Amino acid sequence: MNESFDVAIVGAGPAGISAACILADAGIKTIVFERGEYPGSKNMSGGVLYGHNLRQILPNFDQLGCPVERNIIESRIWYLSKEAGYTIGYRDNIFTQERKYNVFTVGRAKFDRWFADQARKKGALIVPATVVVDFLRDKNGRVSGVVTNRADGEVPASVVLLADGVNSPLAAKTGFRAELKPEHVALAVKEVIELPAEVIEQRFCVSPSDGITTEVLGEITGGMDGVAIIYTNKNSISISVGANLADFVRTKIKPYELIEAYKQHPLVAPLIAGGKPIEYTAHWLAEGGYYTIPQVYGNGYLIAGDSAMLFNALHREGSNLAMASGKMAAETIIEALKRGDTSRKSLSLYAEKLNDSFVMKDMKKYRNFPAFLYNTHQLFNELPQVAQLAAREMLTVNGISKKQKQKDIMAEIRKKIGLFKLARIIWRGWRSVK
Amino acid sequence: MPKNSKGRDIAEIIPAKCIGCQLCLGECPVNAITMEGGVAKIDPEKCIGCGKCVDVCPANSILFEKPRKKKATAAEQKTPSISEYKGVAVFIEVNNGVAADVSWELMGKGRELAEKLNVPVIGFLPGYKVATIAKEAIYYGCDVVYTMDDPLFQVYISKMYGNALTQLCNQVKPEIFLIGATPLGRDLSSIIATKLKTGLTADCTGLDINPEDRLLLMTRPTFGGNIMATILCRNHRPQMSTVRPKVMKMPKRDPERQGEIRAVKYEGPAEIVPRIIETIPFDTAGAVDITRSPVLVVLGKGACDTKYFPMLEEFARLLGGTIACSRPLVEAGLLPYLRQVGQTGKTVAPKLYIGIGVSGAVQHQVGMQGSERVIAINTDRHAPLVQIADYAIIGDYTKIVPELIKGLKERAPALLKEGVQQ
Amino acid sequence: MHIVCCIKQVPDTTQVKIDPVTNTLIRAGVESICNPYDIVGVEAAVKLTERYGGKVTVITMGPQQADSALRDCMAIGAHKAILLSDRAFAGADTLATSYTLASAITKLSAKDPVEIVICGKQAIDGDTAQTGPGIATRLDFNQLTYVSEIINLDLEKKVIRVRREIEGASQIIEANLPVLLTVELQLGAPRYASLPNLIKALRQEIPVWGAREIGADPDMVGLKGSPTSVKSIFAPPPRKGGPVFDTSDGLENSLNSFLDTLFQKDQSILTEVLNPNSKG
Repeated sequence: MNESFDVAIVGAGPAGISAACILADAGIKTIVFERGEYPGSKNMSGGVLYGHNLRQILPNFDQLGCPVERNIIESRIWYLSKEAGYTIGYRDNIFTQERKYNVFTVGRAKFDRWFADQARKKGALIVPATVVVDFLRDKNGRVSGVVTNRADGEVPASVVLLADGVNSPLAAKTGFRAELKPEHVALAVKEVIELPAEVIEQRFCVSPSDGITTEVLGEITGGMDGVAIIYTNKNSISISVGANLADFVRTKIKPYELIEAYKQHPLVAPLIAGGKPIEYTAHWLAEGGYYTIPQVYGNGYLIAGDSAMLFNALHREGSNLAMASGKMAAETIIEALKRGDTSRKSLSLYAEKLNDSFVMKDMKKYRNFPAFLYNTHQLFNELPQVAQLAAREMLTVNGISKKQKQKDIMAEIRKKIGLFKLARIIWRGWRSVK
Repeated sequence: MPKNSKGRDIAEIIPAKCIGCQLCLGECPVNAITMEGGVAKIDPEKCIGCGKCVDVCPANSILFEKPRKKKATAAEQKTPSISEYKGVAVFIEVNNGVAADVSWELMGKGRELAEKLNVPVIGFLPGYKVATIAKEAIYYGCDVVYTMDDPLFQVYISKMYGNALTQLCNQVKPEIFLIGATPLGRDLSSIIATKLKTGLTADCTGLDINPEDRLLLMTRPTFGGNIMATILCRNHRPQMSTVRPKVMKMPKRDPERQGEIRAVKYEGPAEIVPRIIETIPFDTAGAVDITRSPVLVVLGKGACDTKYFPMLEEFARLLGGTIACSRPLVEAGLLPYLRQVGQTGKTVAPKLYIGIGVSGAVQHQVGMQGSERVIAINTDRHAPLVQIADYAIIGDYTKIVPELIKGLKERAPALLKEGVQQ
Repeated sequence: MHIVCCIKQVPDTTQVKIDPVTNTLIRAGVESICNPYDIVGVEAAVKLTERYGGKVTVITMGPQQADSALRDCMAIGAHKAILLSDRAFAGADTLATSYTLASAITKLSAKDPVEIVICGKQAIDGDTAQTGPGIATRLDFNQLTYVSEIINLDLEKKVIRVRREIEGASQIIEANLPVLLTVELQLGAPRYASLPNLIKALRQEIPVWGAREIGADPDMVGLKGSPTSVKSIFAPPPRKGGPVFDTSDGLENSLNSFLDTLFQKDQSILTEVLNPNSKG
């Protein structure tokens, strides 16, 4: 194909489209390739988006018909043992007022499609159902465009932005990102369970436009290093459970069994009772953290979003990192094109921007967290059991003295984990997030 | 009656009843209706109280009372002399000198409808040398058979049959006209409905008469299938409906039954019609007709590992049944189209339907819901087929079926003999 | 030669795609695709014009979103597309739909006579294969349904020869133009569009025609032109599910339990089915 573009973007997800919007606004000739039938068809996430980062791309997104499911006004964290659990939540009305849309849930199929359409309206060309299979290179080996799987499918471009997700077959093929080891990714399965809006509002005590998110840790991941979620949508609830892929390989637990057990947990089941499962998907999560981030710039290309392993597992933040990195990539490209220099050196501005921003700062802060989780399986086995015992015994009024109860609990801790070890876990955990 | 700020009587949507079909949006002359949260909402300030939205709402979800005048549209302009239309007519389809079963199935249903209306059952039989078939029609419940016996109709040609049946409808004026939804029937029915400018409801799963207004109630799945709709053809005649084979029950054949046969001359113009060059029958030796098998072992997407096909064939054989499948297997080239059950395949109604790895989406259910007993074997207990099955077994079919074969052999010595079909 | 293809945008109800890379299984989204039978018709039309010259115009009656289905057709070679969209068209049954499409074809014919119309055999979203024959009747075109092969087209003699799939046989049949075909999937899968053609289709402006542009009598389109109307809707009486036997309770136990129940409750059906005399 003869037509060339200033920028070719691989992937029409949050990172790619954020970049496309910024570039199109600046009048840069941009083309976006999406392997799915339509943007969003291959994407899955728990479903939260962050208003702040979306506003950086589309300042008036709420007036453009953005398909918001529910505005999140309460965040919950649960720590579950097999039959019981601890719950803590924080609700604040400020999230219905000045900080509305701080966090909100979306359906990715709907949202991504709408988001890509905004980029299209700005002038970016979105090409669906087309797979980018390789880079074009000039005689010096620099990236000079992309090759797609269609006839006459070569597209020369001054810069290529890789935003093709955690699996990024292109990164794997071209070597721009080291091959991911199983412990660097998590496998998550998700079900969307349909429930009438009024039922959701009753069960979670929210108004028709608001909702809650729940992050869940504990024994519900079958002893594996993982996490689960419960998010509210308008007429459905998203529940998902995922665990480190290496753990799946080791334990041979089937993802389907994991989510079935999760749905039946006494704290989870009542929330989804009477609902009808309408969607079942699975996806990888880029859990490796800071140490797995590849070199994000090169001669003629940049990498953004999940492709660059920009995912903060502790705070379940991924879409904001994707949008922010997409924006920074776009800004870098605009500068580079002005200078007429798309070399590695010129594009290294991207890494600078990332390092100066919350993106790298957060990733760096939590760089040891993934390893901490992976190496501390007690968090998913013994600790929830011990925690259950502690609360259960302390809360049962049965004539036994509190001192005795305390003794029994400590004995159990000693037996199951060991006091010293417990202290070390707490210490290491603290260190890993500091 | 709600009013807006200008004091005008306005219409109001009841959100709980609104099904979100958006018909009212298209109807409103002042664009006062929008969709919000999946249900319609009328802007009270824009509403002019014309009531058009109420006319089109299929779910009775709009509150409005003011009477209004409207110009008669095509939908309202009645067929002239509508009251003269009497009788339930059934098209008798003939292939290679044999009447299609579905024609008799519809004759039986037609009999039932005609009794409720107290009108005759009429057969329409274009063809060549069809005297015997005309008699059969009477044995299956017809009161009057109109034959158009002419070499012109020896083989089915769309235009000729379309003209012939249009002529018969205009002459005989039946109030209801039923056609079997066979490939031929589907080629034909719309031609007649378009010429007669009447309503046609295809692939009906239910037919009944509304005693209050004597209208035909036609039921069929709609909106992707989770909802059933009852459709009316109020002002036009004949009320036309097509029904798939095996949806209605075959009536009893009574060779003592009496009726009338009237020969009608074809009055259509001599036309140049398409010419059949050759007809190549399918190789019937070894050809399978899944619609005739009393037992079907139906393979779905969850059972498409060809490694296990011999085991499944043995299972089917033991039960005297046939292997059939859902659409994905045909699309993947694993089994031929003539084994496909479903909306775009064949409609079946076996005594025993055993679905293995069949999810049972609506398009499939439509093709097998007449089965007498349904057994589902699946790993997914939420699969639609599992929800409706008379018996469901949850687990891995590759382990279940061999055990079942063993268990059946133990319990039913008859099975120790080899089964017959394939 | 001017060929018109009628297409419909339908929900992608059948696809349970399993992508081995991302493991995405079921999508509950807003996906809509061009009805598979229709795009096969467009591919056949494009092939005919590649061989005999001429143009393919693809039309659809639908909401604004239906334009993406039209673009899919242009990506594989259709030269022109028209979207028939008008609030007045909403609520149309088959009679009104065929009227609207036939009116559009008549209008297109005034500029460039249409000799062949191609429709898919049926739409996968529960449509009933009635629209094609309705259009043929209105235009007084010869009607050939279930076409699985276009054997020959003679533009001088204005004759087309096709193979049709009828019950129990294949039929070779010849008809004079103008003709309307409804097509089977066997006619040939659509090509995978080249990138330049896809991009061209994505950028194309698609004209929208309403009732006025096609000169339609407003009383004959949409709900107004539909003799049939929905009286009521209801959830189908669910076929009640029966006992469930879970093999995770033990393979032998659960299956024995199943067979016991089956032989007890449905003895008569089993006898009928297993009785050698009733076989065949």
